[in-house]
Amino acid sequence: MRLTESSLEVRSMQTRTYTARSENQILAAAVAVIQDMEYNLDAIEKPLGVLTASKISDADSGKEKAGLLMLDLLCVAGGSGNCNAMSSASDDQRIVMTMVVLPSLGGKDEYVARVTLQRIVFDKQDRVNLKEAIVDPLVYQQIFENLSKSLFLQANTEP
Amino acid sequence: MKYSHAALILSGLMLGGCIQPRAADVTGAGSQLEIRQMQSREYDTLDKKMTMRAAIATLQDLGFVIDTADIDLGTITATRLDRLTMRMTVTVRDSDGKRVSVRVNARVGDTAVKDQATYQDFFVNLDKAMFLVLNKVD
Repeated sequence: MRLTESSLEVRSMQTRTYTARSENQILAAAVAVIQDMEYNLDAIEKPLGVLTASKISDADSGKEKAGLLMLDLLCVAGGSGNCNAMSSASDDQRIVMTMVVLPSLGGKDEYVARVTLQRIVFDKQDRVNLKEAIVDPLVYQQIFENLSKSLFLQANTEP
Repeated sequence: MKYSHAALILSGLMLGGCIQPRAADVTGAGSQLEIRQMQSREYDTLDKKMTMRAAIATLQDLGFVIDTADIDLGTITATRLDRLTMRMTVTVRDSDGKRVSVRVNARVGDTAVKDQATYQDFFVNLDKAMFLVLNKVD
């Protein structure tokens, strides 16, 4: 099984540089943003700046269910007795996030945050429907904007 | 009639004895030395912490999320969800004061990865990441 390196585009989408007073300040802001986004922290390794978090959320999609209902109806109309496409509808998803926040190797007071996201989607019978890396640029943009806000709040609420 | 019932029960029991899951693969398979050689590299460029930083960046470049990392033990475990799920453990340890040894092992689903190309891909990317860290490029 070959391992392919992600493109420069993906890497830059997953990375953002911030200015902060200290490593503690940016790590606290990162933890707060993870909580803001309703994740639970699974593991932290401070010297390496690694934060791992996950959450289980709803994956129910009206569009998908409408499609599957149509399949079931066609199946019944076709006279087949085993029409249960709806049971394969997505139900829950487990999203796992790694956020690595480290002092920049180049600039003083600069910190580099890199986020990677993956999800597993389960169907109504708890079978795995989908496993994938999340590569939607808007998602990463939103996370980094949240981290900016969190840093701002941290800087303005703490002595 | 009585005998046929007894025979049925007996054959059921015998068959039950045959239908068992495969024995637990507790100790793995393959040559210990060969596996170690394929999975290990030594470096004298960066210290342990910076090597771990490069290894984490490499794993992220390769599409993994980091499950756990421990600087004292020098271990990183990561998962890559794709059509197949790959789990990888990287261990980084000081070899003899000057050198740092990196070992990585991977599993895909229920199978250990024994393909040399997989490990080569990892180390090629680690080499690049270490070069970038050494030259202070984020």
